Amino acid sequence: MRAFTVTSILDTSGKCCPMPIVETNKAMKGLALGDILEIIATDTGTQKDIPSWCERTGQTLLSTTEENGVLRYHVRKDR
Amino acid sequence: MKSMAIVIRDDSYDKILTPLVFAYLASAEGTQVDMLFVNWAVKALTVEGAASLCMDGRHAADEAMVRENVAKAGLPNDIYEILKALKSTGCVSFYACSLAGAIFGVNENNLIPEAEGIVGASWFLNDKAAKADHCQYF
Repeated sequence: MRAFTVTSILDTSGKCCPMPIVETNKAMKGLALGDILEIIATDTGTQKDIPSWCERTGQTLLSTTEENGVLRYHVRKDR
Repeated sequence: MKSMAIVIRDDSYDKILTPLVFAYLASAEGTQVDMLFVNWAVKALTVEGAASLCMDGRHAADEAMVRENVAKAGLPNDIYEILKALKSTGCVSFYACSLAGAIFGVNENNLIPEAEGIVGASWFLNDKAAKADHCQYF
């Protein structure tokens, strides 16, 4: 049971660096403060890239999960 | 990192991808990226030159595979389309080195509109590279 509600979903499955980050940045621009973006990715590079991007841009990474090679990140827009 | 300067001299399709990808990533963090195209790479700042970029030497036979996988990764596999995507971020500026332009035939008439202009390397090194938080050379 999640303690938050996903506002929007971004599916980057099949895409590789830099596109998951580029598309995450674009998606976040369309959200309001407090909104939560779910990012679906298959590029394992995102396991480092997404947390780093969140730290650099002031967003909050709420959770990271991996199941059968599919990564899901939940990021709250804080800035 | 608020700003990054990148100098590109190599114009082969595969080798120019890395600095463009790094610029794309930096722009996604809001970093201002200034890119100077020197030597052969200045040709990438023309429509014809960007379209003519190919892979050289021992990797040439793999070009179709590389282009296909670039597209699969989600990037445009055309260099000019990547340049346009970078420009649309509002964080990336392209400059053509004036010496390279003179040598390789790039001028105000064939420079792509996405480029800021043709500049002296001294200006770029002093006003962009020396003031940037990070510099990269390709």
